[in-house]
Amino acid sequence: MGSEFVLFVSAAIFSIGALGFVIRKNPLVMFMSVELMLNAVNFLLIGYSSFLNSLDGQIFALIIMTVAAAEVVVGLAIILTIFRTRHELDVDRINTLKG
Amino acid sequence: MYSLSWLILLLPLAGFLGLSWFGKRFPKLLGGWFACAMVGGAFLVTLLMLAQLYSESPADRLNHVQTLYPWIVSEGFSLNLSILIDPLSVFMLLIVTGVGALIHVYSIGYMHHDKEFTRFFAYLNLFIFAMSVLVLAADFFFLIVGWALVGLASYLLIGFWTEKKSAVLAARKAFVMNVIGDVGMVIAAFMIFEHFGSLNYVDVFKAAPTAFFPNDDSILLITFLLLVGAFAKSAQIPLHTWLPDAMEGPTPVSALIHAATMVTAGVYLVARCNALFTMAPFTMYLIAAVGVMTAIFAGSVGMVQYDIKRVIAYSTMSQIGFMFLAVGVGVFSIGMFHLMTHAFFKALLFLAAGSVIHGMADEQDIRKMGGLRYAMPITFITFLIGSLALAGFPMTAGFFSKEEIVMSAYNAQYGNIVFWGMAIIAVAMTGFYTFRLFFYTFMGKSRTPEAKPHESPLVMTAPLMVLAGLSLVGGFLGPWVHEFLSPVFGGTFVDHHDDAMMEIIAVAAAFSGILAAVAIYMTGKDQLAFAKQMLAPIYEALFNKYYIDEIYDFLIVKPVKGIGKFMEERAEKLGIDFSIDEIGRQVREVSRGISIWQSGKVRIYALNMVAGMVTILLFVIFM
Amino acid sequence: MMEFLDQLWSLNMDRETVFGLFQQSLVFIIGMTAILASLGVILCASPIYSALYLIGNMVCLALLFLLFNAEFLAVVQVVVYAGAVMILFLFIIALLGSKEEKRELSFQNFTALSFVGLLFCELLMSMMVGETKPVLGQATPEVVREVGSAKAIGIELFSNHIVSFELASLLLLVAAVGIISLAKFTYKPLRKRTRT
Repeated sequence: MGSEFVLFVSAAIFSIGALGFVIRKNPLVMFMSVELMLNAVNFLLIGYSSFLNSLDGQIFALIIMTVAAAEVVVGLAIILTIFRTRHELDVDRINTLKG
Repeated sequence: MYSLSWLILLLPLAGFLGLSWFGKRFPKLLGGWFACAMVGGAFLVTLLMLAQLYSESPADRLNHVQTLYPWIVSEGFSLNLSILIDPLSVFMLLIVTGVGALIHVYSIGYMHHDKEFTRFFAYLNLFIFAMSVLVLAADFFFLIVGWALVGLASYLLIGFWTEKKSAVLAARKAFVMNVIGDVGMVIAAFMIFEHFGSLNYVDVFKAAPTAFFPNDDSILLITFLLLVGAFAKSAQIPLHTWLPDAMEGPTPVSALIHAATMVTAGVYLVARCNALFTMAPFTMYLIAAVGVMTAIFAGSVGMVQYDIKRVIAYSTMSQIGFMFLAVGVGVFSIGMFHLMTHAFFKALLFLAAGSVIHGMADEQDIRKMGGLRYAMPITFITFLIGSLALAGFPMTAGFFSKEEIVMSAYNAQYGNIVFWGMAIIAVAMTGFYTFRLFFYTFMGKSRTPEAKPHESPLVMTAPLMVLAGLSLVGGFLGPWVHEFLSPVFGGTFVDHHDDAMMEIIAVAAAFSGILAAVAIYMTGKDQLAFAKQMLAPIYEALFNKYYIDEIYDFLIVKPVKGIGKFMEERAEKLGIDFSIDEIGRQVREVSRGISIWQSGKVRIYALNMVAGMVTILLFVIFM
Repeated sequence: MMEFLDQLWSLNMDRETVFGLFQQSLVFIIGMTAILASLGVILCASPIYSALYLIGNMVCLALLFLLFNAEFLAVVQVVVYAGAVMILFLFIIALLGSKEEKRELSFQNFTALSFVGLLFCELLMSMMVGETKPVLGQATPEVVREVGSAKAIGIELFSNHIVSFELASLLLLVAAVGIISLAKFTYKPLRKRTRT
């Protein structure tokens, strides 16, 4: 059962994360959906590394975690800066790049 | 030695380029004398060529072709940059550069007060260069190149005083009519190439006698098209209306271009292509007929004009008609002889008229002149000599050449009594208008005493005196001219000077014209008024040049302008502009539609990304 | 799925099968919990609750990692991810304030739902590819258990994947520099600010 279930769970969490990203307007929640997607991928990697008897998946997952950490920090700093200047927590209202 | 002949082209060209690039940096007079030196140099080289030709036997003098380099080399068509040195071209060049040099010297005095002095001389040198190209060309291609360049120089020089609106319009008119001639020439060149396979004079003229039946359709068409060019350039009916208006240019321009050289290019063309024209006798009749009709037409109009230059212009038209009559009846060398003598006395008359205008402070209406023989003696005498030569007074140059033409009109191969009769009438008219002009201008009392005319400086009167001398003795050069040019025209020359009766009739005609002028203008005013009253309707028609300008305006100019206007409003604005603008507008609309996509909202972009991902995965899974 | 049920029905009560069944059912339960937690993340109105649900999801995943013989990574997940990153998240939410947003039933959301549903189905299609054959990898659970998970990962990381390791550390450095320049931590004297 194991491998298909890993796939199923990972696909589900990934799709839910993608849905959350498109549906929500609060930038913080959107960011959290991104974290969800990354987590889903991590899970997939580790699950399959266990099935395939290799440590490459785990190492890749480790690297992904590192990248995700760095990305979160930078992204939150950006959201903070935007909030400081515009006092806006609605992503739809930040559209000066339009046209 | 013949390779020195390139200098004839290069010296005036260097003069033109040097004056146009560096002219402003040097003092005015230096530029003027530099231009004269260039043309004088060209004249000397031409004399050298003459001597060189004389060192050979008459039969060898033809077909000296100097090639600079082969320009177009391809199968079926090749063209070299080459010039042809033969008696006809050397003869023509002597006239062009000789009279041209005299006119350059004259212009130094005439244009002295003009602020565009240097530009004038640059253009004059350009003209000499262009005319030399035309004369020296060894094939039809460069003939047409020279033809067009000469038209350009004429345009630039007629419209020289750009602030004078009438001058600019006249220049445009001259150029447009010239272009009509150019079109005819080019089509003729195409047909020549089609029939002969080459544009070289040597090849074409050698093949001409055997390539066609006489009066064959194609040779008729070729010669007719060449004629269109010749008539446009030489101001014969019906392409003549530009010549009187061309008098808006400075007088030296009128002397050089519209008396001595450019307008005679048509005659030169017919003489050069005599091999072609002799194969088309019908065209020869046409040439003679048009020539003699123009002679009468121009003579009649010239009898009643009041602008001194316009009278001389119509006289030029008339005399060229004589030249065409001569080449039309088959005596080419007589036509060229008249070309030479006409260059002498017509340039003299124009320059003397210029001297009068200069002395009368730019007054050109002869009704305001009179009694100038005391104020301007040298001009008076030279003008008299020129008038005598023009009218054909015995022993002057004009007498010899005109006599030969009038007699050939009857005796020559294609002559007949009608041509002769019309020629006699034209001779009478010539005498009349020439001396009418002379009497109005120089005799009697001054009609505007406050004008205070003065004699012109030496730099202007010296060429007058040289030309007067040539007008007196030039007639005796006749036999030399005929003998020199005979190899070009088939090697034979028949002298038609046999009938003493015809000679006397011709001289009598000339004298009758002169006496009529004396009768009307020298013996009191009431004669003139009486004559005018009697001939009032005829007078009106003549004065308005038979209304030909008005007819052309109605038939041609107005429809063309109407078409232009129509095309601009309909085809251009509504058609082409509209459709191009519409394309631009549509592009803008489409881009406006597409730019809605770029909303700036992150969520929409994310949705796009998801959609893209889905589509790609779809392809990946199902392919 | 079928194997699970087969094993269940065979009523083979020896230690391995029971343990295997227990493990598999645990995996199933915790997996479902993770999915529910992630649903909670995206559906909650308040960001705080979403963050808490996310922490829950991460803990579930850490448990799953444990069940799949990735002990080191389970610890890393809890300590780094759930411990540091999510705490940072919570701090920022606290700083920025949490406005409750209402969910709307717009056409945009509907299209998003349909596209994501399509995505899910496509991802599930990969299940139909076939059996996963264990490649002859050397890191069988027994081998790993001998040296311990951390050591095994360490050996692997610093021998075969040294370049990625160095690049990841460089990335962290760049991120740190970026933060500092972005957030402009300069000393500003306290000033009275009018409420906008």
